[in-house]
Amino acid sequence: MLLGSPALAVAQTADEERPVPILTGSAGFFTNVDGGHTELAPVISPVLLVPIGERWLVEARGSFEGEFARKNDNGPYGGTVGKEVDYAQLDFIANRYVTVTAGRFLTPFGIYNERLYPIWIRSLQREPLIYPIATEASSGIMLRGGFAISAKANLNYAAYFSTLSTINKLESDRTVGGRVGFFLPGPRVEIGASFQQLLQEERTRASGFHFAWQPAATPLNLRSEYAWSGDKGSGYWIEAAYRLSQVPRWQRVMRHVEIAGRMQQFFGHIDEDEAEEYELPEIDTQQADFGLNYYFMDGLKATASYGREFSSEGNANLWTVGIAYRFAVPLGRVQ
Amino acid sequence: MTRPAKLLLRAVLAATTLASPMAAAPPADNRAAETKAEPAVHHENFADDAAIRMEGEKRFQANCGRCHQFPHKFPPRMILTVERHMRVRALVTEDDMRVIIRYLTQ
Repeated sequence: MLLGSPALAVAQTADEERPVPILTGSAGFFTNVDGGHTELAPVISPVLLVPIGERWLVEARGSFEGEFARKNDNGPYGGTVGKEVDYAQLDFIANRYVTVTAGRFLTPFGIYNERLYPIWIRSLQREPLIYPIATEASSGIMLRGGFAISAKANLNYAAYFSTLSTINKLESDRTVGGRVGFFLPGPRVEIGASFQQLLQEERTRASGFHFAWQPAATPLNLRSEYAWSGDKGSGYWIEAAYRLSQVPRWQRVMRHVEIAGRMQQFFGHIDEDEAEEYELPEIDTQQADFGLNYYFMDGLKATASYGREFSSEGNANLWTVGIAYRFAVPLGRVQ
Repeated sequence: MTRPAKLLLRAVLAATTLASPMAAAPPADNRAAETKAEPAVHHENFADDAAIRMEGEKRFQANCGRCHQFPHKFPPRMILTVERHMRVRALVTEDDMRVIIRYLTQ
């Protein structure tokens, strides 16, 4: 027994140091009012993380997004639930410079698609107008990594090849592309560029730039993206989110409050069918949004926003009210 | 101060520095060169917990805070999984990840 105790202790310690599979993700319920038309949008987006050994990770995310509206504007609510596999990938962390990813993955174009998309993260629930440009999921192989190139700068990159897939719910185009970014930890500035070449049909190109700044002295988050596509149009968005934690009055409430604003423009002229397929505006469009988030606790927030859309087809008010929750459950023993 | 006295003082200072816990720790580059994909969670008594906490918080804010708020307190085994996920998704560097894991599991 005395001989067995140290061995048991070592085994327990080793077990504590091993990552455990997790089921995480987000769930939310939103009410959108676009130009007077009300839509109810429940969302569930589970993420499965299964670490294997010391260098492998299996990760997958699905999304179930409902769109329910009144029939004829005053009838009962009805609609559909969209089901998608956003990504299902195997990652191999080869070394400090390279991670190899294979499977279906989020296309690394700009920063919104990979990092800001989850509903519990985004400061404004409405996606930017240019979001559909070059962000359809990819199926293939990707090399990516992030490492320090000096004491004051990190480099991050992603390069991928995607193959054509016509499998239902797992569609992807044959493309090649990549993204490179520089992050300066001191001033907390990130700047980068993205590129994508379509290797089928019109063989069009897309490119983009992103910028983010989070000053250390204030709880402010500034983000911006520009994207251009040879066949879909171009545009940009600039967003600022400010946590009111430094407001000296009503601290108990204010530290939970975040205000956010976004200004964006889209430039393009595509026909109605393409606009529906790509989920882009048909014509030049400007939009301004202002939002308010209240964080009850980590991962649980109430959100509300008002936006105004301007285009030659008419202007519209865009309201959103809802709640977003991030969950995380271990699929194994954690102690 | 005479020249022999200065030499003696330098020797004492050098010996004190070499004997300190900070000097005993491997240099940052050596630690970074470890081949493991991610570090083990250590529960040692560090000489300066406050300094580690400050550095961890700084790196957490610089990397993780760019996208989301401070996380809920998770058990260490869950944090290891989340950090591996973030290393791939958000391209957090290996060095930053080590410090953040140590900070979050402290």
